[in-house]
Amino acid sequence: MINSIVNQFKQRNFLFGFILILAAIILIGIYKPAVLVEGLQRSALYALIALPMALLLGIVDIINLAHGEFMMVGAYFAYFMSAQFGMDPIVSVLPALLIFFIFGLIVYYLTFKHIIGKPPLNQLLLGFGISLILSEGMTAIATNAPRKLSLDYVSSSASIGGVTFGTFEFVYVAGALIVLLGMQLLLKKTATGQAAVAVGQNPRGARVVGINVNNIYLLIFCVSIALISAIGPLFMTRYTLFPQMGSSFTLKSFSLVAVGGMGSITGVVYAALILGMGETLVLSSLKYGKWAEIIYFALIIGVIMYRSHQRQVK
Amino acid sequence: MAILKTTRVSRQFGGLVALSDVSVEVMENEIVGIIGPNGAGKSTFTNVIAGVYLPTSGKIEFCGQDITLNAAHEKCHAGISRTFQLTRPLVGLNLIENVMLGAMFGKNHPMKDARRESMEFCRFLDLKNIERPVSAMTALEIKKMEIARALATEPKLLFLDEVMAGLNKDETMDMIDTVRKIHSQGMTIVIIEHVMRVIRELTHRVIVLEWGKVLCEGTYDKVSCNPRVITAYLGEEAEC
Amino acid sequence: MKYSKYLAVLVLFIVAAALPNYLGLYQLQIMNFVFVYIAFALSWDMLLRSGQLSFGIAGFAGIGGYTSVLCGYNFALSPILCILIGSAVAGIVALFVGSQVLKLRGLYFSIVTLAIGEIFRVIVRNLEVTGAAEGILLPNAIFMGNATKTYWLMFAIATFTIIISILFQKTRIYYALTSISNDEIVAASSGVNIFKYLVIIFVVTSAIQGMAGAAYWQIYASVTPEGAFNLGFALLPITMALFGGVGTTWGPVIGSAILSVTAEYLKLQFPHGHLLVYGFIMVAAILWFPSGIMGVFKQFTAKFNT
Repeated sequence: MINSIVNQFKQRNFLFGFILILAAIILIGIYKPAVLVEGLQRSALYALIALPMALLLGIVDIINLAHGEFMMVGAYFAYFMSAQFGMDPIVSVLPALLIFFIFGLIVYYLTFKHIIGKPPLNQLLLGFGISLILSEGMTAIATNAPRKLSLDYVSSSASIGGVTFGTFEFVYVAGALIVLLGMQLLLKKTATGQAAVAVGQNPRGARVVGINVNNIYLLIFCVSIALISAIGPLFMTRYTLFPQMGSSFTLKSFSLVAVGGMGSITGVVYAALILGMGETLVLSSLKYGKWAEIIYFALIIGVIMYRSHQRQVK
Repeated sequence: MAILKTTRVSRQFGGLVALSDVSVEVMENEIVGIIGPNGAGKSTFTNVIAGVYLPTSGKIEFCGQDITLNAAHEKCHAGISRTFQLTRPLVGLNLIENVMLGAMFGKNHPMKDARRESMEFCRFLDLKNIERPVSAMTALEIKKMEIARALATEPKLLFLDEVMAGLNKDETMDMIDTVRKIHSQGMTIVIIEHVMRVIRELTHRVIVLEWGKVLCEGTYDKVSCNPRVITAYLGEEAEC
Repeated sequence: MKYSKYLAVLVLFIVAAALPNYLGLYQLQIMNFVFVYIAFALSWDMLLRSGQLSFGIAGFAGIGGYTSVLCGYNFALSPILCILIGSAVAGIVALFVGSQVLKLRGLYFSIVTLAIGEIFRVIVRNLEVTGAAEGILLPNAIFMGNATKTYWLMFAIATFTIIISILFQKTRIYYALTSISNDEIVAASSGVNIFKYLVIIFVVTSAIQGMAGAAYWQIYASVTPEGAFNLGFALLPITMALFGGVGTTWGPVIGSAILSVTAEYLKLQFPHGHLLVYGFIMVAAILWFPSGIMGVFKQFTAKFNT
């Protein structure tokens, strides 16, 4: 009885938030239509980058501080494939998935496997160390010089009703939708996904009921690494590469996962919408454009204060 | 005089109701037993009184003061101390340092006084070799150390959460003597227990919890004749 | 055995005091690195003893650096006073951040400290008063660039940090922090005000980091956004503390002494990616020797004694 009332309240709260976001987006659409399209594309990119972390951190409770660095390595992979063999970055998503799944396997067996179940401090430090190895390793291989491919199709654009926008960036929207749907299917419809949710909630209990906990950790870790690394090639079609670019995406992904609510995949998408739209709106202003980076800090701080307050009430 | 008084105290975890409308009183210098089947809310009750969780509703009064929303360390300062169902020694500290923690932060003694006081408590509970690390102690010694840590805060009310669990017959006898010794110093004790013999020997009054509610309360003899207690508790009774 | 420890400290002190007479300018500069990293690594470890992992060294060092240089630039205050103000401001920022986030602790705390440096980097890069992207150049370095005097300043800061660390290991703060890192529920049930002690230790360690950062940038007489909030300031000291052995006073000191000298060598040998080595040391330390050099040393002496 009480349970159902609580659920209803949650639903209503949720609905309220949803309507608020929708209203804000419509307002932006009327005020600056171009921001709406660009904001959607940017949000999709953020969602795409944050979703693999949502899977790893939100579902099975492993924090990977080298998250952004794996994307950076994937992006460099696509860059070199293009420079050496002329492979299109979009095409190199597929080999990246396979190669980085195996790479994730190796990283897991060498490092993360040994600290599962130990204090979370170890995970944080380990991830920090790995992020350092990846970014500095890439500096040693490719130097600090910024790199960018010049691709013709990236700058394609279209106009509707006097608003001009890039069409290529819709690849991020498509990508985010595919990854979102894929994860939902994995977690809701497959036995493995259900087992992963169980492991995240209670590893000991999951072990007792006969779930192979180690395999679940291994699988989710590798899927997360493969996904984030395969997003690298998509990212580098449009943006400039340098070895230190990863850490800010780790921070952004974390704040999105925290805002969306640990364990909620769709929550991350809504958080990404807030961040992407907000940043694009600030960027579109000539005077305050350079403050766009501050948006996600506001997001982090807001969430921390909210959760801190919640904890006090509890 | 009632030292502890709870009025309709409830606690929920999400949708799960762990305690509902628990209204009990503990008198000064009394030993009260709390019994009930697994999941009846005994440990949740201890945790709510000691401040690990705050109650979702209801009121807790201690020595006439409202302490419902006080944090765990404030409840400790007010005079409520407790041990844990599964022992929780601080492995970074040795025996005497574990006890000193209570004296230093529960009673705000300076370090030197805390050490002296703690040594007294160790002697009182028959703990020897007080510079030993936790890894070199037996299960009984760790339990006693936790009692010493709780006593070192110089509480007015002591919660003992299943202190007999995992002890053999001799050790249980030893522990019963220890509890008597603590009570003879004028301490009010709430003892949560599975082993009925311990309850029968030690307690003045028993509170029976089931599904987070008070099933009944009274002296051991009265409670053990209650048919509802017998149906709820039949398996446990046979155990002793 | 008891006296040999004091003797070792005395010898160390005499050697440190004699060094400026025998070292050249470049070596003295390296010694400054050693001292600043001792302050960073040890203060980071002091917070870790309470179970809280901070990535905020870069942030607080940058806040201290910017504050002190700004004070010197705008009000022409004496450098020492500037350093103290820098330290105080870092402490105040930590007080504000800590009072918000230390109720949550754990993961949230670590991530927020990681973000502090980034936040301030964006702020100082966009404000006119902080010199935007170019940063600020002071007319004069501290002590007019006198290498011996700066050596003594940095030595004093490192020694101060060591003394604070030893004090914290010997007073009731040690018991409070150890109990918090071991088991928060037991700590609270024994009367420890967890929040209060965590805020205290966070403010103290951040003020030390602010002070060391302020002194560091006073020596360079300039600050830039990318330099002052460089993430390298977070990861080098962490690696050094892990390498030396966390949870002790001398572990991080030894770790910083060894690794900051090798860092200079590696920087010259491998201009690109010399930090790679630190990544490997950090990972290896977490996986295989969690108590660092001090742990290995203790094992060895234990074997030798029996």
